[in-house]
Amino acid sequence: MKWLLQIMFAVSCAVFAVAAGPIAAAQIGQIKNTAGQVFLLRNNNQQPAKAGDIVEEADIITTGANSSVGITLIDNSRLSAGPNSRIELKQFRFNPTTQEGESLTEVRRGTLAVVSGQIAKRSPEAMKVQTPTTILGVRGTTFAVRVEE
Amino acid sequence: MISLKRFVACTLAAGLFLCGCASVNTFVVLLPEEGGAASAVTVGEGSQRTVLDKPYSAAAVDLQRNIETKTVTAEDVKRTFAEALAAQPPPSVSFTLYFETNSVEVTPASRPALDALFAEVAKRRAVEVQVTGHTDRVGSTADNDRLSLQRAEAVRAMLIQRGVQASFLRAVGRGEREPLIPTPDEQAEPRNRRVEVIVR
Repeated sequence: MKWLLQIMFAVSCAVFAVAAGPIAAAQIGQIKNTAGQVFLLRNNNQQPAKAGDIVEEADIITTGANSSVGITLIDNSRLSAGPNSRIELKQFRFNPTTQEGESLTEVRRGTLAVVSGQIAKRSPEAMKVQTPTTILGVRGTTFAVRVEE
Repeated sequence: MISLKRFVACTLAAGLFLCGCASVNTFVVLLPEEGGAASAVTVGEGSQRTVLDKPYSAAAVDLQRNIETKTVTAEDVKRTFAEALAAQPPPSVSFTLYFETNSVEVTPASRPALDALFAEVAKRRAVEVQVTGHTDRVGSTADNDRLSLQRAEAVRAMLIQRGVQASFLRAVGRGEREPLIPTPDEQAEPRNRRVEVIVR
């Protein structure tokens, strides 16, 4: 009986550690809403995206006609893309304790509205948004970008 | 001859910009902040760099990376960005809950904040919750690390009871390291016995 209790204790500790522990380092945000055709391209594998899906560094999010997507990142920044857009979360690094980090998001085409979060608040211009012809340094907080092909 | 060529090139560039046609690749506009807080975005690098620091100030960047600034209207923004702006997720909301001495019980005064937290979590889709427990400086560092995590876990358990998906619900304890009110060691301070919750 004693060994059974010990095993149960070990298992419950493990479950507890997983549930309460820090999330996997790869998660940098979450998709909060989608409308129409929204896809998530990761490691050359394209999947339809839906609310609740985790986003990781290097993910590419695309939208079709009459489509849109809203995303929050773990530094509390918020990104939302309109129709016919292609957004790549190129680089993202954030320390929740010190609130320091840096990010680079690329808008290849379409529209993106941005509300910057802790990264830009802590270090102005550590959040960058790139397009095929320019780079934006974000001091804060709300702006929008359109890129035409 | 050379100056004439330049003149023609300049006229052509100006003409393209004025007619707002296909050579514009990137269009950026700074939007107003709630409460009128200061805000700015830089466009471009090096000598080309331009700063947008007034609401509705905008920059158009052409394929040759020339930057032209102008001021647009709320109507222009709506025309171009209506769908993207409509998809903006709501901002995160923070709650602070206070606790009884050496206890995982929320104080009666914090019950309304707890109810507000439950209501906020219930109305959001794909919700993420970060729960961070703290203590005052009475007791050892190790005991306070444990107590702060227990407080965070108590809040986490209440949220799970209300059906929040556990995979997006993180609880951590910060012990006595991050007091809201700095105090000498071993001093009781009710405002430091707290759990901070961020709902995103």
